[in-house]
Amino acid sequence: MSQSISLNTWSDALSGFNLGWFPLGLVIVAAVPLVFIALYALTYGVYGERKISAFMQDRLGPMEVGPWGLLQTLADILKLLQKEDIVPTAADKFLFVIGPLIMFVGSFLAFVVLPFGPAFIGADLNVGLFYAVGIVALEVVGILASGWGSNNKWALYGAVRSVAQIVSYEIPASIALLCGAMMAGTLSMQQFCVAQSGPYGFMHYYLFSNPIAWLPFLIYFIASLAETNRAPFDIPEAESELVAGFFTEYSGMKFAMFFLAEYGSMFMVSGIISIVFLGGWASPLPNIGSFALNTMTSGPAWGAFWIIMKGFFFIFVQMWLRWTLPRLRVDQLMYLCWKVLTPFAFVAFVLTAVWEIYK
Amino acid sequence: MQELGKAELNSTRIIRQDDNRVVIEKDLDTEYMVLSMGPQHPSTHGVLRLECITDGEVVVEAEPYLGYLHRCFEKYCEKVDYPGIVPYTDRMDYLAGMNTEMAYCMAVEKMLDIEIPRRVEFIRVIVSELNRIASHLVAIGTYGIDLGAFTPFLFCFRDREHILNLLEWISGARMLYNYIWIGGLSYDVPADFKKRLSEFVTYFKPKTVELQKLLTENEIFVKRTKGIGIMPADVAINYGWSGPMLRGSGVDWDLRRNDPYSVYPELDFKVALPDPKFCDIGDCLARHVVRAIEMEESLKIIEQCLDMMPGVDGFNSRVAIPKKVRPKAGEVYSRAENPRGEVGFYIVSDGKSTKPLRCKARSSCFVNLSAMKDLSRGQLIPDLVAIIGSIDIVLGEVDR
Amino acid sequence: MSEYFSNIKIGATTIATGMAITFRHFLNAVKRKGDAGIDDADYFKQVDGLCTLQYPREVVPTPTIGRYRLYNDIEDCIGCCQCERACPVECITIETIKTTADDLAACGKTSGGQQKRFWVPVFDIDVAKCMTCGICVSVCPTDCLVHSPVADFSEFDVKNMMYHYGNLSKIEAEAKKRKLDEEKAAKEKAAAEAIARGEAPAAKPKPAPGPMPEGGQAGE
Repeated sequence: MSQSISLNTWSDALSGFNLGWFPLGLVIVAAVPLVFIALYALTYGVYGERKISAFMQDRLGPMEVGPWGLLQTLADILKLLQKEDIVPTAADKFLFVIGPLIMFVGSFLAFVVLPFGPAFIGADLNVGLFYAVGIVALEVVGILASGWGSNNKWALYGAVRSVAQIVSYEIPASIALLCGAMMAGTLSMQQFCVAQSGPYGFMHYYLFSNPIAWLPFLIYFIASLAETNRAPFDIPEAESELVAGFFTEYSGMKFAMFFLAEYGSMFMVSGIISIVFLGGWASPLPNIGSFALNTMTSGPAWGAFWIIMKGFFFIFVQMWLRWTLPRLRVDQLMYLCWKVLTPFAFVAFVLTAVWEIYK
Repeated sequence: MQELGKAELNSTRIIRQDDNRVVIEKDLDTEYMVLSMGPQHPSTHGVLRLECITDGEVVVEAEPYLGYLHRCFEKYCEKVDYPGIVPYTDRMDYLAGMNTEMAYCMAVEKMLDIEIPRRVEFIRVIVSELNRIASHLVAIGTYGIDLGAFTPFLFCFRDREHILNLLEWISGARMLYNYIWIGGLSYDVPADFKKRLSEFVTYFKPKTVELQKLLTENEIFVKRTKGIGIMPADVAINYGWSGPMLRGSGVDWDLRRNDPYSVYPELDFKVALPDPKFCDIGDCLARHVVRAIEMEESLKIIEQCLDMMPGVDGFNSRVAIPKKVRPKAGEVYSRAENPRGEVGFYIVSDGKSTKPLRCKARSSCFVNLSAMKDLSRGQLIPDLVAIIGSIDIVLGEVDR
Repeated sequence: MSEYFSNIKIGATTIATGMAITFRHFLNAVKRKGDAGIDDADYFKQVDGLCTLQYPREVVPTPTIGRYRLYNDIEDCIGCCQCERACPVECITIETIKTTADDLAACGKTSGGQQKRFWVPVFDIDVAKCMTCGICVSVCPTDCLVHSPVADFSEFDVKNMMYHYGNLSKIEAEAKKRKLDEEKAAKEKAAAEAIARGEAPAAKPKPAPGPMPEGGQAGE
């Protein structure tokens, strides 16, 4: 470590701040990711996706509400809030209601270990990566609950497909992340970033400093698409086959919950991939001679900027893929997971181990 | 014994015996679920309802239920005089109005035995080939959507928009033209039409290449369609298939060449056939590829027609239109190659009335769709969607 | 095994090709096609870029030939009812009253100089029913019935889709009818008197005036 970085100063200071008996600081720490998800899903998530898809398809996209349609998502949210909250009579009411909540909570809980810059993190767990991988998988429970609880054949198909898909893709994803953990020698999200920061900027990132890292990087990226049900792996909601998959019966705010959860976990997996392979909040700019570009662009605020930008970049790639590719079939999805990604993940694992021993 | 589908996924085997009986063997005791796909479903291309009996993701049998868009075309024809039927033929196959109009008008002209000016014939061929491209663009685009690719769909519609603009410029309407009249056309083409159309041809050629790169050659697309819903040539003929569906099964049959009409014998074009190196003969990919090739062939036909078209601008396209359409007593069947296959009109006249005694339309989609039950046996639900998409049904024509 | 790897390779390359195409379109999004109509010379000039328009403000111009809203110029209408008979969907309703001899001047002439012999108190077009086939236009002898290129004429109430073109109000129509009946009665009376006087019966009222080619799409 060439730089002395004081980790977690902001969040530590905040969490110690109590208002009488009320842990106001902790609430603020928890509220930051929540507000972030909501804001980003509103702006970049929905609006950005609509605009990006429109531009890729030679369309204008939303243009009516506000300048360039900037307030379109706000109008949509208002509409969703006003809509009647329909629970089908034949539905299992408890599961139907709890499904979207579990999904959103699962996606939100993962943000606990996502560092927003060197100075802010919900909880700097020493098993942060492990926790993140585990908690993202909680979404399966929500999908299954909503799919089964809807009492709809399409929803059931979607839920069953989704469970098979997400559980399978956990394996290559975890092994690919393990490669990253081996390189860093830690599971703490902050330590990942610390290990990849340095005066030469992006040269310290594992993706560029390690000749094998591109393989687990690609494997994790593909697997993360499947874990977040994004195209070309969106078979649980495949609208041309299953109408809307597991959320066929949902409307109003519950539907919006699914949206928030989807965009939340999209950012989460993009955050994980940028932390493990691309240095997280570490600045990509190198120090050139005496011109200390790297030092200038490091720090708590810059760190938050870099990690969010890296996350947004990967979300852009996810959208880009979505608006380019057709959807895979269920058995092809499984083929890709078990016969392509998993073997390659093991190869990457062994190669990384060899590299780490003999480098 | 021929095993169908990838049914081993949940240890169900759907086996077709030599006498075409189907036997289902199972290792597990599973229950069938009846899944009603449509009439409101994104991939049924309108208001088709498929009642699928499913065993997990495997479709044991899918039966199409029709009639949600039935508008009594044939009965209505007995009430309207001959020229008044033309706008109704537009509404049969609303994606290829010009082609259907042409088929109908040819039938009535055959009854009346009238000579059509050559320029009119060329314009008819141009507009119907333009409409064939537009129709195939919709077919290819929506097929992309069925398989989850959205962008090709919008590219297709962008280009179709140009064709619709061109046709609106000629005929005054975008989809339901009533342009081809019995014995002629409602108007001659506009003055700049030739120029604009050749501009369109040059514009459209690179777009087909782009579409091919983006969709047809995409590995995921190929994997989703190759070997799915294979229809052997003999079964296809027995079902009465026609058009791209039949050519997809490897039968070299095109009414424009095999039963030539209008000026097609003078034009040089190739009957689109699938390439066995790229796709399995008779599968969904073959049908898709045939449509893609046909678009390029149609472009060729249009270019030739532009060169060969006689006459001058300002030509009166209504010279041969009879003042009164009252054919002699008798019956006639006339057919033409629509984008979806053979569309034919069987008309009976009693010789006294200006209205047909009977008008029967042979709809290509209806016949093509009849093989659905056979094609769907033992397929997965995503493959079922791919098969429906590859049949390229227009419910307006199926139900009439 | 080689197939396995070649599959992966083909998959990767075709996906990359597709992504390159969509990215090119993404970069081209700074250009816009504009609202050039098909009859503009530079219609096909812009090949790339956004092609959609913001509808109410930017409209693709409809060509002058466009067949949309049916419009009747009642000043030129001679009330021959051919359009009503030709319409396949029966969206035109016409009622006519023959003009009396002294009203011919009041009834006026068409712009083509043809004497109008009918009052048209009711000329209703149900544009909600109209399928814009253009058959009525083709049979109109005075070219007073046209499809205008106005494409957007949506209404909140379907009753507003009924367009009234009649040139007489109800009361006027009643008066004209009464007048016609009186004239008829007078004529009949005169004829009866003539018969009583032993003369030849008077000629019956003439049939509807104007060129009347029989049904179908009459050529010009």
